[in-house]
Amino acid sequence: MDLVQQLLYMLQGISTTLLISIFSFLLGLTIGLPLAFIRTYERGFAVFVDAFEKVFRGIPELVLMLLFYRGVGLFLAFPFGDAFFTATFVLGLRSAANQSQIFKGAIRGVGEEQMVAARSLGLSRLQSILRVMIPQVFIFSTPGLGSEYALLVKDSSYAFVIGVPVIMEQADRIRKATYDPVIPYIVAAILYILLTFPLATWLDTWGSRKKKQLGL
Amino acid sequence: MAEIVMECKNLWKTYGKIIAVKDVSFQIREGEIKLVFGPSGSGKSTFLRCLAMLTIPDKGDVYLRDQCLTKPSVDLNKARAKIGFVFQHIWLFRHLTALGNVELSLRRVLKMPKDEAREKAMEALRLVKMEDWAKHYPAQMSGGQQQRVGIARALARNPNIILLDEPTSALDPELTGEVIDTLRDLARMGTTMLIVSHEMPFAREVADEMIFYDEGAIVETGPPELFFTNPESERAKKFMARLIKKTKRE
Ligand SMILES: Nc1ncnc2c1ncn2[C@@H]1O[C@H](COP(=O)(O)OP(=O)(O)O)[C@@H](O)[C@H]1O
Ligand SMILES: [Mg+2]
Repeated sequence: MDLVQQLLYMLQGISTTLLISIFSFLLGLTIGLPLAFIRTYERGFAVFVDAFEKVFRGIPELVLMLLFYRGVGLFLAFPFGDAFFTATFVLGLRSAANQSQIFKGAIRGVGEEQMVAARSLGLSRLQSILRVMIPQVFIFSTPGLGSEYALLVKDSSYAFVIGVPVIMEQADRIRKATYDPVIPYIVAAILYILLTFPLATWLDTWGSRKKKQLGL
Repeated sequence: MAEIVMECKNLWKTYGKIIAVKDVSFQIREGEIKLVFGPSGSGKSTFLRCLAMLTIPDKGDVYLRDQCLTKPSVDLNKARAKIGFVFQHIWLFRHLTALGNVELSLRRVLKMPKDEAREKAMEALRLVKMEDWAKHYPAQMSGGQQQRVGIARALARNPNIILLDEPTSALDPELTGEVIDTLRDLARMGTTMLIVSHEMPFAREVADEMIFYDEGAIVETGPPELFFTNPESERAKKFMARLIKKTKRE
């Protein structure tokens, strides 16, 4: 395996890792944000939301991935036969459970008063959530969301057990081809840091600045 | 006599053993200014919140003009759009500018087009003398300025009545004056207002009626002069004496 080929392998690893991280983050956001509001304002659903969170935060993602890929995949040819889809789906649900927790804390931080003030103007509950709560909830959540994104980039490496060409998988393939037991993993380690650190830090800084500016 | 704007009949609200509103009946007519005062914890805030249906009363009826707000079939969002509310702790939307705060209900509740909403919001800000601060965020303003924006936010929709819950009591003493001036302007314009306040000189000047509220109930009502000279109930007498002493000290 020559150097150019190794480079191409790693490029594919980077793009796959990024795609899984971004898609699972967005899936987690789409499910986690509504869950947090449902949990806060619809006490009746609390049991279901809590159970969902317990299950997806409690079971190791490695187990989840194999379970969905092998177990569920046996009965459902698609989508769970597809390793990339399975990895994104599992990480997305786990992220939904995490993000729901993050947003719940942020809703508490923004405060019920903002909701009361919004309702006093005649805004509906949904309008109040969309126009008043969510913009502030996001600002409150930036540190948590930054860490959550970094966690997804790191945890996407588990997808190598079902053969998804993430950075980890590619490093492993290069190791097998070149018999170099160290360098490929060092490169992988550096890549993971490069993919997580800048964005998470930027989000954190932006959030702190915004919070200070708005007095949140 | 002018038309009744807001009315409640035999209103109740309890929190466990605490009775915050105990069989309260009340009415206020177009252009009237009524001022509620009484010890802290007596239920004044709860009473105001029930009138605006921000807290749903346990029993009794609330009317806004001819509409009964305590009927289950009413659209409370539409009803609240016709009631202005000013909060003790102001509660401006911190992610929006002064203009954004005032515009929000014009755009999203009254569904005004953008330009019209902006113009109307600026008009409200001018009224409270905050037009130069339209582009500033609440965190950049003093408490008094924030509360003036809070008042603009409440009145921009031309509500039938404005309910104000201790609008100056969370402010530094040197900042209450500007808010009181704003309220005086509203009074001159004939705005119907129910104000919880302990600013006695202001009360004497603008209130058509004062209401002494204690232990969840209206204990005594009358013109300001009555309370300043010779309130009937022992409790009002004691409370007034304490208030006047405190005001003198300041
Ligand atoms: N949401 C609530 N839950 C429980 N108790 C409340 C709530 N709101 C008010 N209370 C209680 O009701 C009583 C009256 O409160 P409040 O209306 O705020 O009085 P005031 O405005 O006159 O100080 C107080 O004892 C307060 O603790
Ligand atoms: Mg109060």
